[in-house]
Order: sequence, then C-alpha cells, then structure tokens
Amino acid sequence: MAQETLKQVGAAAAQQNAMERGARFLAHGTRLFTVSSGWESKMIREDRGVPSCETMLELEAAMRDENVRVIFIPADALMTDADIEKISERNGVTKTLFKEVKT
Amino acid sequence: MTKNNKDQKTTAPKAEGKKPEAASILKKNIKDLSLEDYEQLEKRIGTSTRPFPMWGPQRVEENGRSSIQTVLSFIADDSQPLKIYSERPYEEVVALAYCDMPVPSMLPIFKDGIERRGDPLQRQKDILEGKQPQNENFNRTQMMIGDPGHGKSFLGALQGRLRAKGSVEIFDCGGKNMNDLLFEMVLDFGAADALPKAIDKRLKAGSLEDMSLGLVAQLNNLEAMPESVKGEKAVAEWKEQTRIVTYGDDGKASIDWAKLREGSEEKITRAFDILTKISKIEGLDNAGGNALGMNSQFGALIRAFIDNREIVLDEYNKSREGSDNALQTVIQFLIGELRECTVDNPLKNKDNTSGPSSFTFKRDDMGAGFFVTFTGNKTEDGSTTRSLNKSVYDRLKPDTLPDPDVIDWQHRICQMMVGMPVSTIYNAFQEQADADPAAFGEWLMWMRETKAKVEGTPIPELQQTLLANWQDVVSSSEKLALFYDRWATLSDAEKITTSAPDLIEEVDEEYTKKEGMSFRRIKQHLEEAQPIRAKMQPVDSPVKVEFGAWNKAPKQSETVEENPSLNYGTRLVEYIERMVFEKSGSVGKNKLYSKLNKAMEEFGLRDISLKEGARSRQKSVEESLNISAFADKDLNRQAQIARKVFCNFVRQMDPSIEADDDSIITPKKFLDALKHVQEKETAATNELFVANRDPEQLYAGQPLAAAIIKDAALYAREKKRLDFDLDDLVHHDDFIASLALPTVGEKNLSSVWEQNIRPMMRDSAPAQAEADANAANQNNPRRNDGLSMAEGTSEHGIATTSLQVLYADEDGERAVTLHIVRNEQRGKTLVVGEKAPSKLLAAFREAGVTHVDRNDPSAQTKVEAAIGDLTRGMPEVVKKHLTDAFKYRNNVDPDYLREQAGKPFADADSEKAYLAEARKEYLEGKQLAELMVAPEVTMNLPKFVLKNTGPR
Repeated sequence: MAQETLKQVGAAAAQQNAMERGARFLAHGTRLFTVSSGWESKMIREDRGVPSCETMLELEAAMRDENVRVIFIPADALMTDADIEKISERNGVTKTLFKEVKT
Repeated sequence: MTKNNKDQKTTAPKAEGKKPEAASILKKNIKDLSLEDYEQLEKRIGTSTRPFPMWGPQRVEENGRSSIQTVLSFIADDSQPLKIYSERPYEEVVALAYCDMPVPSMLPIFKDGIERRGDPLQRQKDILEGKQPQNENFNRTQMMIGDPGHGKSFLGALQGRLRAKGSVEIFDCGGKNMNDLLFEMVLDFGAADALPKAIDKRLKAGSLEDMSLGLVAQLNNLEAMPESVKGEKAVAEWKEQTRIVTYGDDGKASIDWAKLREGSEEKITRAFDILTKISKIEGLDNAGGNALGMNSQFGALIRAFIDNREIVLDEYNKSREGSDNALQTVIQFLIGELRECTVDNPLKNKDNTSGPSSFTFKRDDMGAGFFVTFTGNKTEDGSTTRSLNKSVYDRLKPDTLPDPDVIDWQHRICQMMVGMPVSTIYNAFQEQADADPAAFGEWLMWMRETKAKVEGTPIPELQQTLLANWQDVVSSSEKLALFYDRWATLSDAEKITTSAPDLIEEVDEEYTKKEGMSFRRIKQHLEEAQPIRAKMQPVDSPVKVEFGAWNKAPKQSETVEENPSLNYGTRLVEYIERMVFEKSGSVGKNKLYSKLNKAMEEFGLRDISLKEGARSRQKSVEESLNISAFADKDLNRQAQIARKVFCNFVRQMDPSIEADDDSIITPKKFLDALKHVQEKETAATNELFVANRDPEQLYAGQPLAAAIIKDAALYAREKKRLDFDLDDLVHHDDFIASLALPTVGEKNLSSVWEQNIRPMMRDSAPAQAEADANAANQNNPRRNDGLSMAEGTSEHGIATTSLQVLYADEDGERAVTLHIVRNEQRGKTLVVGEKAPSKLLAAFREAGVTHVDRNDPSAQTKVEAAIGDLTRGMPEVVKKHLTDAFKYRNNVDPDYLREQAGKPFADADSEKAYLAEARKEYLEGKQLAELMVAPEVTMNLPKFVLKNTGPR
C-alpha cells in the first residue's frame, strides 16, 4: 500500500477511535473530540488535509477557511476549552475538532 | 461607492491538497444574476417527491367536529416548493436541511427565512424571464426572540450554511455599542499578524517578561463598565462579554486577538497603548513587520454587505442602551423601506486615524448572499436584556419563539444522539416508514452519510449503530422527551403554580434560572453518556476484596474493548438519575425529587419489572438504547462481525497463523455459512454449529462445523455403551467461540436444553405420570418450574443446563463441564467453564454472554453477580427453581464425599447411607453460584457435545 494511502487509513482509524469516546457538542453543529496523545494524535496531525492550530489566531482562521473541515488542536495549544467554545460560537459553521489530550 | 474589503485575514495553518473554489455566484449583486446563475443556485425541497416536514396550525376534523390544532405535516408542492438559493450541490442542501433541521416549533420561522432570502432573487428571476414579479419584497432581515439556548443563532447560521460553504459571522452584540456595526476602530498588526504571533510564541514558551504578563492581564479591563450595568450577575456577564485574556490550567494566558482587534475607540486606544508597551519591553518594536497601528474601518455589518454574505447579530437586545440610534435608517434600508442610505464615520480623523468617511447602502449593490439575522433574548432573561424601541419592533417584526414542546425536545435529543432528527422525520412520514422500515432506514442512513461527507469525517460508530436501530431511537427519544418536558414544567416557578402547587416552597424563580431544564442541559446529559467510564456497581452486588498486598498495584487483566452502544442506554439513564438527585434530592428539594423519580418511572427510563417477574411489553429507554452490534438484522453485517471474531479467535488459538482475515475465510464463504445456520432447524435434534479450526476444512470455506449433543442418560436407559470417546468431543474453546458469533450463538442456545428428563421420569416412576403431566402444564399451580427451567420452557424465560466438552491443558486432555444459564427475554447468558481465549471476551459482551472462568479466584462472586442480573425483577423463588434445574444433571462427586468422611466405612450399606446423607447436606447447604464453580460438583450422566460426523 502506498505510504500516503497508509497515512490516510491511519488517520481515518484514529478519527474513528477518538469519535468512539464521545463528543462535546459546540455551537452550529461543531463537535469537539478528544484524542489521546500517541499514535492517534500523530496520525490526525499528519493528515495533509487537517490543519494543526496552536493559537486562537490560527483556530479562528481555520474556522473561517471553507476548505477546512477537520481541525487538530495539539495538547500544548495556547487556548482553553472555553476559548474553543467561544470561537465556535462566533463562527456559524460546522467543523470537526480533535483536541489532543495527554493520557 | 465602490465596494472594498479592508478586512485583514490570518490564513489558516497548512490544509493541503485542496483545489481553489470557483468564483461564488452569491457574491454577485442580485441585479447582475443571469438565468444560468439561477439554474445553478436554485435547489428545491418540499416537492411531491422531496416533501419537507412543516409545523403549524391547521383545521383538523375529529369526530365530526373541526378545530384548529398545531400539527406536524409537510410541504409537498411541485408548483410552490421551498427554494433555497445555494451554491452547495443538491445532495448537500438536502442532507443539511434534513439533518440540521430546526425543531418543529421553529420550522415556520425557518420557512419564512428561506422565503425572505429567496424573494428578491425570485423577483429578479421573474424580470429576467419577462414575467410580472411575484413579489416586491426587499426585506433582507429576520429577527427572532426566545430563551437562551433555544437555537436562534443556530437557525440564522443554518440558513447561511445551507446557501454557502463559508462561515457565517455571528456578531455578539452583548454590551456593545451598535455604532461599531457600521464603523469601528481596529488595531493594525501589520503584515501577517507578526506582533500577535510573536507574543503568542512567547506566551506558549513561557518566555514573556513578567512586566509584559502584567500588561497582558490588563487587556481584560479595556472598557469602563457602563453605569447601567448593576447587580452581581450583570457585572459578571459584562466581564465575560469583554474578556480578552483567559488562563489555562497551566497558568498560561491566551489572548483572543480577533476580539481584541476590533471595537470601540476607547477599547482600541487602550489596547494600542498596552501592546505598544509590551512590544517595547519584549524588544519586538525593532523587528521588521511588527508595526502596530490603529485605524477606523467599516464595521461588521458594512463588511458583510460589501462581501455579500450573511451575518447574525446575536443578542441584539443585550447591546448597549441607546447605542443603536444610528442604526435606525440602516434598518429601514435593510427591510426595504429605503432604496439607499448613507452613514458617516464618526471616528474619521480622530487621533490621527485614517479610514472611510462614510458608506452608502444602495439597493442596487445588494448582493445575492447578503442577509441579516437579528436574535434577541426574552426581556425577562437577566438585567442586561433590554426592551427595544417600538420603532425597532415595528420594523423588524420579531418572531417570538414558543416554549419547546415535547416534539421539540424529542427532535433535539435525536439530533444529538444520531446527528439527525429521526423522530420528526418519522412523525412526518410515519405511514411510509412503518410500511417499509428497511427502506426508510436506508434513506436516513444516506442522509447521515452525506452530512458526514460534508463534515469530512466518518459517522461515529455509536451514531451508526443507533441509526441502524432507528425504531429504538424514536421510541426512547419520545420517552426521554416526555420526561424532560415534565422536568422542565416541574422546575419552572411560573408553571408549577398551576401544575404542581405543592412545589412552590421548593422551586422559586432563582431555582428556575439556575436549574431549569433547557436544551443545553439535555445536551450535557447526552454528552456525558457517550464515553465509557468506571461504573458504580449495584448496592447488593457481591464483591471480593483481597486483603493482602495492598502495597502493590493490582494485577492488570487484559482490557476488553466495549462497543460504545452496548451499554449506552444504561449510561444515559444512570447519568440522568444522578442529575435528578443532584438537582433536587441532594439540595433538600425532596418533593421535587419524588416527583422526578415518579416521572422517570412513568416514562419508562428504566427496565420495568411487573408483579411476579413478568416484564413490561414496553421497552425502557435503557433497554432500547443498549444496542449490541449483534442486533443488526442485516445478515451481511452479522457475517462481517462474525468473521472478524472468528479470524481473531483462529489466530489466537494458533499463533503461527499470521494470515489476514481474507486469507483465512472470505466474507462470501462466511455469509454462506451463516445463511446455512439460519435456515437449518436444529432445536429438536440438539444439533449445533461450532468454530471449525480444521485447516483443510477451513480453507475449503467451512468456518463452522456441525456438532450434536449426545445424552449419556439415553445410553444408560437403553443399556448401551458409549460409542464415542474423548477424541469425538468438541473442544471447549470451539464451542464457546460459537456463542460469541452472531446468529450461530443464538441458534446453539436454542438447541442445548433438556429433552430426556421427563420421558425418563416416566420410565422410572410410572406412578408419577400424572404429576409429570401437571409439570408440563404451565397453568398448573403445582407445575414443576425447576423441570421447565431445565427444558428451557419456564414462563419466567430463564433456563439452565450443563454440557461436557473436551479440554486440554498441562494436566492433559479430559472432558470438562460447561454450565449455561440463559434469560431468553433479555437475551443474556451466563457460561461457567474453563478459561476463555481473550479474543472472544469483547464478542461475548456483544452477544450478552457473561463468561466466568471457574478457576478464577473471584469466580463465585462473578457467577453470583451474573445470576443476580439474569433474575433481576423475578421472584426470589426463581433462584431456588434454577438450583433445582441445575441438580437434575449435576451432583457432588462421591469420591470427594468419601474423602471428607475421613474414615473407612464398615460396609457398603453404611457407605451408601453416608453418601446419601452427605450429598443431601452438601447440596442443600450451597447456593447455585457456589455449586457452579465447585470442582467437586460433577455431571451425572452427562450431555456430551460431539463432532457431528453423521449417524452413529
């Protein structure tokens, strides 16, 4: 299997695993899933179509980018859950967010 | 006036591999649209083949009388459908419109919103087609007022999302000066936001100077609190509205740059001063690109008009008192009263700032994508909510949202559970759904999958399983909705005055505001129920504490992955029960607690056990939402699951097998095998199917082998010797693996029950034939329920039996006993045997099988707990009858009793007398759980599970 395909399959499996742990429902249908730090977060982070947002400035920009549907937030990102919720409230768009958590 | 966009943008971090989008038609001015554009934009729903649910008053004829009732119906009009002018493909519009559909009571407002957005476009289309325009509506606004959390901004944004892929700006008006919507001050951070990025980098690294950190904290005090903000709650709300900096658990500050960047002159001037100081302290003022400036620019409303996009002015009536005067003429323009209006920039040239001097809104510049949604809270909601001017009400004509009805609660519950309002869609098209539930289910799944494609992620497994069982979702969500509706009434200080006056002392206005039921609370309950967490055991469940060696961590047993839907109902109901207690009983509101408990019972949240152990025919919420993957009625899906379990089992049993699933057995072969099992009648002949690990047969495409139960009692009765030996027995693991396979397990569990005890009783004691007949008669009060339980015919639906299979370990090969207890009604089974392969454990859970290794030190405790669960809600006597049923086939080993005697017997008679007495004493003194795990309890005249190689 091509390396790229393997990565895509891995990212999809990691997303599905994270989704099994349940979501927080944010505004406008956006869902926030937590993803364990390790292979799952690595797979999602390395997915070419998924921007990794380290700051609120970057998250805001990703929320407004209509080509972005899935967003990764690393564990050491400079934002709280309340910040994420606030940004989701003021952007009327549905995105899927994966937030890395250290286990 | 030339439209220009001065909005500065930070680009999102890498999101590679995307094609640039084609130019947006919605960005065009309405007057510039062509008929080709309309062809691309117009998406019709609510036609005869694409009906769309709708809620509203209707004249209903009932028993010869007609009355006006509010009903859920649908729009299905090919001539006048709902037209959504959208750049999205049709399938996306449909998936979003149905999956994200507003609650029924908001559907008329949704319809109105679609029509308002469409009217000027339809008018232009009529002109292009040379027709008399059907409307002269130039209103580009909609306003709705309702309780917080009702979904107002969601509805506004949904309309925008239906039309375009981009984000809809939600402008929070709370505490703001409404002049800012037209012109605002803005911080200019220079190219590519260099200064914010540099500060963020240092905040993240923890390298920002202490003095700078102090200044960062001051960013939360940029604006003086207006005098009108009074009271603790209003002050807290104001602080929240103006908060720019938050602190994480690690104490690190995060700055909301987007919020900081724009605002009033006062705010931006102070922010500029603070950032200038930070910039100097950090030495960032010297670096190129870190220039900091301030300017005036068009506010959010003008920018939305220029960009031809939608904007939601959220919580408009929480804006600063008297600050919306300048907006009045703009509102007149927006609702179509004025063809144009000009607004001047009061900030121009203040403090040497540059920027636009004025802006003129013109109808000719009106873009196809522009629309303004105003939302407001009911004025009774907090002191910061104000009543708007009469002229605003007259112009915007707000729709006040009704209090949520049961159908609304249910709709939202379904949306959160499965990602779409199954209940509303079902209620609107009930007749067709009931007539062809499979096709209805497939249609639902298609819409949910399409929505998932829009979202760019797969459907979560829990949602997928629930959606496949949509009938359970509809019935359980209805019960939950009724319960939440009752909870909402009982926690509403106003409503209880008529509905539950005895609660007046416990439920006041403060309690209603703090703890009243709302969509947000339901959301929290459903969120909390999703993840699998540590669970509190029932108070009467047995527990075994190891008192020694607590200085060491417990031994880690193998983790058994659980399908999230398997106990979803239990998790949800347990969480609701906990919340009911926390919000009422634990805070001294005992009457409310009692009423909520009664409501939980009335609406069937928990399994209901009726008198004499009979169960309610109504499935509880808990039971409906505890869905095993094995419950999928689709044989293809069952074959997929079974194959996965089987292949993992085969690889674990023989680690030298490294082949993947396809190499072990193809999906088609497994499906064929399951079809054969499903079609074959086996119960009457005691035939079984077990896992087949014979390599030759397996590679020939036979994952299952035939097996049959042979009863030693029959051989004894016919005075025949056993015509088989140990090699003919089915292996323990192959038999229990069959119980972990969907379809196969069910079939086998219907074939293991006693068929010979009753006829043999007739042989040995003909005088008891009458009693035997009575025993068979379920209605006879003297019937032998123990016997019925051994035969699997008890009215309680519970049964037990024992079988012997082959087992091999370091002690060599031998026949071992498997005890089975089955609750047919609940589809739950207890199997007590030897250690099971770990790869089967997760599948056992799905199959409702509790497997206990009799060699486990806690085996007895585990069996006790399982029997307690299997007999839950049944009379205590059932356990006694179950023990009787067990004793038909099991007895205590005489050698064990002889050993216990500790002395030789004088003669055969005294030995016989001793054994009879000791056996009686042993068996009567022990509970079923103890008997099931005791090594000295053996089968007398066993039922052997043999490989079925043909007639013997």
